[in-house]
Amino acid sequence: MDTLIQQLINGLTIGSFYALVALGYSMVYGVMKLINFAHGDLFTLGSYIGYTVLVVGASWVTATFGIWGGMAIALVAAMIGIGVAGLVMERIAYRPVYKAGRLPLVVSALGMSFVISQGIMAIWGPNPQAYLSGWTPKDFLQFGNIRVPVLQIAILVLALGLMALIYWLVERTTFGAAIRAAAQDRDTATLMGINFNLIIFFVFALGPALGGMAGVMQGLKYTRISFNMGWLYGLKAFTATILGGIGNIPGAMIGGLLLGVMEALFEGYVSGAWKDVFIFLILILVLIWRPTGLFGEKTAEKV
Amino acid sequence: MADLTSKLTQRISKTQGQSPQRKFPRATGLVLLVAAIALLGAFPLLPFVNNYLIDVGFIVGIYALLGLSLNIVLGEVGLFDLGHMAFCAIGAYTTGILFHQLHLPIVILLPISAIVAGGFAYLVTSPVIHLRGDYLCIVTIGIGEIVRLVLQNNPGGLTNGPNGIGNIGNPDFGLFSIQSPTQFYYYIWIVIGLVIIGLINLQKSRVGRAWNYIREDEIAAKANGIDVRAFKLLAFVLGAAIAGIAGNIYASKYMFIEPNNFSFMESALLFCIVLLGGLGSIPGSLLGAAVIVIFPEIFRQFASYRLLFFGAALIVMMIFRPGGLWPRRREGLGFAGLGIRKLPRDENALLAEAPVPPRPGTVPLKTYRLPPVTVAMSEGLILETKAITLKFGGLVAVSNFDMSVVTGKITSLIGPNGAGKTTLFNVITGIYRPNKGKVVFQGRDITKLKPHTIIGAGIARTFQNIRLFPSLTCIENVMSGPHCHAKEGTWPAVFRTPAQAREERKIVELASYRLNQVGLWAFRNELAKNLPYGKQRLLELARALATSPSLLILDEPSSGLNDKETEDLMAMLQVFLGEGFTMLLIEHDMNVVMGISDWVTVMDMGSKIAEGPPREIYNNPLVIEAYLGKEED
Repeated sequence: MDTLIQQLINGLTIGSFYALVALGYSMVYGVMKLINFAHGDLFTLGSYIGYTVLVVGASWVTATFGIWGGMAIALVAAMIGIGVAGLVMERIAYRPVYKAGRLPLVVSALGMSFVISQGIMAIWGPNPQAYLSGWTPKDFLQFGNIRVPVLQIAILVLALGLMALIYWLVERTTFGAAIRAAAQDRDTATLMGINFNLIIFFVFALGPALGGMAGVMQGLKYTRISFNMGWLYGLKAFTATILGGIGNIPGAMIGGLLLGVMEALFEGYVSGAWKDVFIFLILILVLIWRPTGLFGEKTAEKV
Repeated sequence: MADLTSKLTQRISKTQGQSPQRKFPRATGLVLLVAAIALLGAFPLLPFVNNYLIDVGFIVGIYALLGLSLNIVLGEVGLFDLGHMAFCAIGAYTTGILFHQLHLPIVILLPISAIVAGGFAYLVTSPVIHLRGDYLCIVTIGIGEIVRLVLQNNPGGLTNGPNGIGNIGNPDFGLFSIQSPTQFYYYIWIVIGLVIIGLINLQKSRVGRAWNYIREDEIAAKANGIDVRAFKLLAFVLGAAIAGIAGNIYASKYMFIEPNNFSFMESALLFCIVLLGGLGSIPGSLLGAAVIVIFPEIFRQFASYRLLFFGAALIVMMIFRPGGLWPRRREGLGFAGLGIRKLPRDENALLAEAPVPPRPGTVPLKTYRLPPVTVAMSEGLILETKAITLKFGGLVAVSNFDMSVVTGKITSLIGPNGAGKTTLFNVITGIYRPNKGKVVFQGRDITKLKPHTIIGAGIARTFQNIRLFPSLTCIENVMSGPHCHAKEGTWPAVFRTPAQAREERKIVELASYRLNQVGLWAFRNELAKNLPYGKQRLLELARALATSPSLLILDEPSSGLNDKETEDLMAMLQVFLGEGFTMLLIEHDMNVVMGISDWVTVMDMGSKIAEGPPREIYNNPLVIEAYLGKEED
């Protein structure tokens, strides 16, 4: 029983990382119909930005602002840095290719993925880096036999809070309605007076920013970061996106959390080596059963 | 009627054009080809070429073979396959495992690897082949990862896990065995040469065209008799088999394989090869492979930066040449580009010698292999819908609808917008399956048949919003028509058997005849998307006619046409009627409806409200009410 709860909490934590990254996939896909393969690498870049902030002067930041303040600054820096990176990426790699159709966009995204991950390697070196233990709180909360690190609870709460914020923004505000309209039909939305460029701006800043923050959280939780970790996170998050129904915001969140929990349970009770095989099998089975994901709308093509 | 026909042909003959100017003459192309082959052949013998360069040439070969194999799936059919390395892995591991377990020679393992990889592709893609674009993309990535992880986890001790399989032998042909870099270089490029010959033959056959039709518009392909599922699977199986061959050769060259040889990164590179070269372009795939391999080699001195440059280069390429380095051109080539044997040099001569197709329903159909007609075609009913009901959620689109079409007549289905007319057409042609009711065609229940079978049975259609194959030429568009009656499949196409060549010739003759009949002969080598709207409608009509249907279903044929064009269309429909085509139209233009229909059925809110001869319908108060609303008392 204790193991079960422990695994559930672990699963929710990693699932919330997936969900945050998946949100970025889903938002970008919604308005651009582009699978942004570079998104996982932006996650990594966020992790490295957070790392750099915390490593400054062997952590002058933590010493000055305290442990919690240091982490907050790292998160904000990653959010801003990756938000800007997302916008730059859209400008140089996607906007000029947009008119050429979807396949060239995929290649451009793969190219961007190489550029970012190799750029990280060029700057921070090929060896993994570590978030040092002095930067994070060591406290535990004790529930019976279960010990849960305070840090993990904080991360979980923050991630869920961010998701709630995005959900509110996209599903409950006028601006969110504009985003959803633009995702359905770009031309009509533009004719209705929606500023499509503003939507692009928003989506390409916010989506990656969420991923960047998830990157920092990942570093805080697991301490080890490496330049090529992004593709696996990206792949898992993309899987979560598809599982939930691509372009569907709540779907991406639930897909991410579900994926994290399934993964943790499988790892805990069956086998760690086979967990990714299990995850992809689940994905394929779900798609056979529901070709547009769990919450994706059934789209019958108009003839 | 004869008068009309002659008028029509007169008008058409005026529009007949000349053969198009080739971009460059065939001789130049041939010289280039010979030069390229000579260069490839002489490469290892050149003075400055050392073993390192020969090995680079070999690796280019491996990637070229893999690029060609992915090009079938991604380039020809347009399926997002980002896990193609899985099939190569299956081939390589089949070779490695069977070599050690059963001690089979590498040369024999080559075809076995191809078969196993192809069979594996069939098994894993058949449950997911119906998925659309991005969903299929993630599934192929998933398949790629599953294969790599399974190999890594060493099930049953077969794959030796992350350590890989070593000590794999070299190919031994009895008389000589392949060992040195130069030998491997020639080995792979000879295999590539053979594969390319087969692929070109396929590309220029009805199989290759069917793939392209699916890529251009899946629904239109279905509605023109292409078995979409079967051709997609065929592409995957064939692509996987060729990737399996590449796996076998790779394993025998390096004598060692490990799971990480077949990572997602490699699959992504293959994807880039196809896009860099140009979708569906065979020389493009070779060029793409050369770029992918040689570019990082050139930047080897920058060591860790080379992939960064490579990524940037991909982006720049897509910005400046999104169509690829060597895109496949269709329009400049004329009929020569169709690759059909022994066509007359002058395309107009082909038209002159093309036989008039037999009238539908009148026999001797052997020449065009129409299906046997099962019912006497005199004054009987060719089509009946019996109590058709179709609901979308709570909305009843078609309700309890009975309709019949008399052989050899023109029947019109009219009704206000949203009455459910097009939906009914979609039920008849098998695109939707009704909740209740039956569709009976020539005495046979076709309700449950797939669209491509229905068209083979003799119902052809056009679409309300024209659905052509936009990036194919007009003649290629019309050549999709006879596809449903053609018999020769993949192997006859690969080996160009005489029967296959004859059939291809028949297809192009029939297509030429129909294209000319609607007055578009002059545009035969033009891409469909470049035609003006009215001509696109005619092209779609020609494509439907080319299926040699017994019943032709036209969805608003006159919409978007001006008065003159409408008049011509009516004359044309009369000609088709004279040829023996039964027609069912949805039409809004009352001049057309009243002018040419023999029978009119009126639909409103999914139900039939009236039917009868045109004059009667014209004055029917119920019909007037449906169109104009009820008069206030």
